[in-house]
Amino acid sequence: MIGKGYCVQADLEKKLQAEILGREPGNSILTCIQCGTCSGSCPLADAMDAGPRALFALIRDGQVEQALRSNTSWYCVSCYQCMVQCPQQIPITDIMYLLKQLSLEQGLVPRDNKMPDLYAAFERQVNLFGKVSEALLMADYGIKHPLDVMANAAAAVKLLAKGRLHLVPRKIEAPRRLQAMIDAAGQKEHAR
Amino acid sequence: MIYGFFPGCAYQAAAGYKESVDSLCNLLGIELREIEDWNCCGATAAFSCDRHKALALTGRLFALAARQGFDEIVTVCNACYSTLKKAAKLLGSDPGLLENVNRSLKAESLELSAPVPVKHLLEVMFRDREKLSWPEGPCRLPKDIKVATYYGCQLTRPWQNVPRALRPDLMEQLFTVAGLETVDHSARTLCCGASHAVAYPGQCRVLVSRIVNEIKAKGGTLVATICPLCQFNLDQGQHGSYRAKLPVAYFTQVLGLALGLPPAELGLKKLLVPLKNIPAG
Repeated sequence: MIGKGYCVQADLEKKLQAEILGREPGNSILTCIQCGTCSGSCPLADAMDAGPRALFALIRDGQVEQALRSNTSWYCVSCYQCMVQCPQQIPITDIMYLLKQLSLEQGLVPRDNKMPDLYAAFERQVNLFGKVSEALLMADYGIKHPLDVMANAAAAVKLLAKGRLHLVPRKIEAPRRLQAMIDAAGQKEHAR
Repeated sequence: MIYGFFPGCAYQAAAGYKESVDSLCNLLGIELREIEDWNCCGATAAFSCDRHKALALTGRLFALAARQGFDEIVTVCNACYSTLKKAAKLLGSDPGLLENVNRSLKAESLELSAPVPVKHLLEVMFRDREKLSWPEGPCRLPKDIKVATYYGCQLTRPWQNVPRALRPDLMEQLFTVAGLETVDHSARTLCCGASHAVAYPGQCRVLVSRIVNEIKAKGGTLVATICPLCQFNLDQGQHGSYRAKLPVAYFTQVLGLALGLPPAELGLKKLLVPLKNIPAG
């Protein structure tokens, strides 16, 4: 079983399935021949609770909640290997992006995956400064995951010694204007 | 040659990437003109969370580049490259998305009519190789250093506009111009784990060792990379795991050494696994 928590209502699950399969890039899931080349070529398939092939089978079967709760799309590292190898030319990586966005919108992000926190910290950096400085990104992410950051402490010392750790953020000229631009874009979230 | 340059966020702290790009471009007669007031491309994070916000970020970059008169954007990072390529494809083919972006760009008083083409520095150096001023003379890299190229994943796929995407040889061909030969191996486009290495170092270590072991087995003693994240993951990812560590440099550092640039100008001291046996400049 994937995940725990509240259940998405059946009609909502149907609606989500229609949303995924009804347009690009999700509609190409219908052409999947279940050969498993994607799962076989994925560098992090071992960590996923379902490989891309199994995930597409769930979606076609109507088990969209389980698909959105799965950690598969969050483990996707965007290497695009599956997409290049797919005999049906399904844009698998693009579908992973869509599933991540949908699971965020529906509050179904798997709690045991750390990538949503890393991406959120990244977004905060962009919103605040318009540019990302690694040290500040790690500090922000480290609030929720101190062990990950401490594991990198030795590397951080080395980087600092080599003048590669920048503790003062670089900024674009007017971060507030950029923030307004991002906010305006975000208001169209559901206009997909 | 003048290029509209998008350095990206990771460039500044990358191990001697900036130093070597600057010295090499200076030598070859390339002027990199930085896109003024550039912002983060959003990388994989922005597209994972909200497509419209991600497109606004890239849209701002395209609009700035166009306004500043650049007809192409040159990057030095695979993640910037693929993010901008993805955005260019979406904005170029879907007028609705372009309209949305233009609505958000009003906050920045910017306008975008069409996305600007995106290239990696490696691509443009290779494309324009005959127009560049290559110094005469043999390859200056010591013969006992065997270079293996590593492209990582996002440059070659799924855009397919890099020739032989599954077995690219752009770097090999560019190195040949400098008289530098490389070692053949099969890990050129395997994934390094990218940003997952922060949250899942254990899983990503396996990915790094696949690459490092393959290169070592084929006799490589120096890796040439084209992306700050690849370089960092391969360099840092060997920490504590290997007895004989494999130095991992940028293609600009390797090319600089081959063309006789002094090591001090190539930022080689910033590598974590040291590159030994190079003649002091």
